[in-house]
Amino acid sequence: MESTMVLTEDEALELLAFLVTAARTQLDEAAEYGPLRLLTAAGRLADFMTGRASPATQQLLTGPLRALPDAALRSVDPAKYSTELDAVCEAVGEHLVNHFGGGAR
Amino acid sequence: MSNAVLEAIRTRRMVRALTDAPVPREQVEQILESARWAPSAGNRRLHRFVAIQDPVTLRLLRMVSPGMFQRPRAVIAICIDGQRARSFGMSPTARGLYVDVGTAAQTMLLAAHSIGLGAGVVTSFSRAAVSVVLNLPTGFSPEMFICLGFPAARQPPAIRPRTPVTWQILSHWERFP
Repeated sequence: MESTMVLTEDEALELLAFLVTAARTQLDEAAEYGPLRLLTAAGRLADFMTGRASPATQQLLTGPLRALPDAALRSVDPAKYSTELDAVCEAVGEHLVNHFGGGAR
Repeated sequence: MSNAVLEAIRTRRMVRALTDAPVPREQVEQILESARWAPSAGNRRLHRFVAIQDPVTLRLLRMVSPGMFQRPRAVIAICIDGQRARSFGMSPTARGLYVDVGTAAQTMLLAAHSIGLGAGVVTSFSRAAVSVVLNLPTGFSPEMFICLGFPAARQPPAIRPRTPVTWQILSHWERFP
């Protein structure tokens, strides 16, 4: 399957800078910030991709990926936070299988 | 009797969503002026502030600041002047220097609140990258950003404490039991 370019160089640089600097800041920060930083990066990537990705990926970006649990939830209800994150991961997995055609269904 | 200072302390919040409206330079100057009156150990004034309003610089700062969720229209970077600290015989990493970062920050947050601006602090950024972006002199260390703008109508949910907080919970009289 031909793949579409979904990031400009500026956008890719922005994400690259975020990821590298997050690796450094995480050395000094509370461990609970780890997932938060990764989800922030995922959210920004999704924002960049929206409007350029295939219709199916678009559905993932505007559907399940918009349902990322709020960071505040982690401190008040860690179990619910995990459950909601699992639901997003499940949706991502489903999309990967459909997109790449892997796995027996 | 109402007390404007206590009321400002009670009603100030970390503002994480800001509008696109620009912050007038005069307001940034008012906040910087307030920081001039913040407590400073020994009145040594070992901190320097960098005010940023240029959109490109703001964008670059956000790129290297994983903790900056908001899109501020102005930022004040609180920096420790390490060389000046050494001139007083202090280590650039002495605890007192960080206390004064806090007193300057809280003073600016209250000042921003009092003039109708939303403000939030960010400490999660790469000091190395920020030093390059702001062209900081050798020995300067950026320690905190005060992100400024006009508060958006909708704010993300507040981070609630794990247990209710009262002053009684936080405080003890005379000594711990």
